[in-house]
Amino acid sequence: MSKEENVEVSEVYLFDNPENAFVEAELWDAITEKNLADWEADWIPHLFKLLKSLKQKGVVRKLWPQSRHWHWSDKVKDIEGKLSNQCFSIVCDSSTQAMLITDLARRSQLDVQKHSHLVYVDFIEVAPWNRKELIGHSPKYSGAGSILIRAAIELSKQEGFRGRLGLHSLPQANDFYENKVGMTDLGLDKNYQNLRYFEMTPEQADEFVMKGEDS
Amino acid sequence: MKINVTKAWCEKMARREAYAEVGAGLLAIDPTFEIESVSETSSDETRFVLQRFIELGRRGMGLSVEQLAEQADIEIAELISIESDIHHLPEPRTLYQLAQVFEVSQVKLMELSGLTNPKDVNYLEEAVRYAARSESIEKLNPEEQAALDGLISVLSKK
Repeated sequence: MSKEENVEVSEVYLFDNPENAFVEAELWDAITEKNLADWEADWIPHLFKLLKSLKQKGVVRKLWPQSRHWHWSDKVKDIEGKLSNQCFSIVCDSSTQAMLITDLARRSQLDVQKHSHLVYVDFIEVAPWNRKELIGHSPKYSGAGSILIRAAIELSKQEGFRGRLGLHSLPQANDFYENKVGMTDLGLDKNYQNLRYFEMTPEQADEFVMKGEDS
Repeated sequence: MKINVTKAWCEKMARREAYAEVGAGLLAIDPTFEIESVSETSSDETRFVLQRFIELGRRGMGLSVEQLAEQADIEIAELISIESDIHHLPEPRTLYQLAQVFEVSQVKLMELSGLTNPKDVNYLEEAVRYAARSESIEKLNPEEQAALDGLISVLSKK
């Protein structure tokens, strides 16, 4: 598996749904050229399936995602070398399965921790084949989202933010962040395309980690 | 940075996560309705029909812009843009909400706006005729009421 030097690798596991088995994967503390190449070579073809679906539904061509991936690449280049951003990616079966970008310069909005530093999850996404809603059937791997949230929590602790997190959830992921991750819902953010803003307190971070510990 | 996560933790959390959607942040938004300058894909005629229908429908219900926005749970600015700017491309959710309030087909409102291509162009001609019969004044006159009734009839057909 090729990756740039200076990337710290942690051992993690994903659930392989078709094989009904857990498989080894790698959590990288970066988004590298390899991840970006995977995005274009692997993720985009799967997005084309979505495009085909849009065509069948009669959505006009101008509405198709012609250059979305370039915006994404620009984003990664934009934060390259900045200390206030930390990225993570999960690689399994030689391919990128999920990616995360954080911003360490944001402050909390939740009353109990207002103005405190937190790790803001600027972006989190799993590969198209890991999204049942997108592909319409059982996804290849499960568990990448929880691992990346755990990574963000550990980063928050390392930075002295005690596990505090913030993020704007996509509508279809609200249930995950509210009920499975256990974050506090601060409502729709009119300044952020009406996405719902969630925050995690140190106590909620500990609870999330404990959910995966042996009882 | 190294993260120490046990296999047992990954397994338990993967089962808990299951097939959940996890996307967050603007960059993760699905491209389905990533809209870039699509005004030319819809004719001014169909946008005019949408514009007139929303305005007539609102006035026919005796609602102000603010009241309709509240009832439909949409932004006031978005509603004003739909009624006053023929080149404005509404959000799909906005059209869905308005279709619910006016009890017409969301699909047809999407087609009028240019978000989707019309499958049946016949009703468009009919809708344009109805819309063209009305002019904007404070209260609905009988002609406007008739135009509104006609538009509702056309846009409600399955």
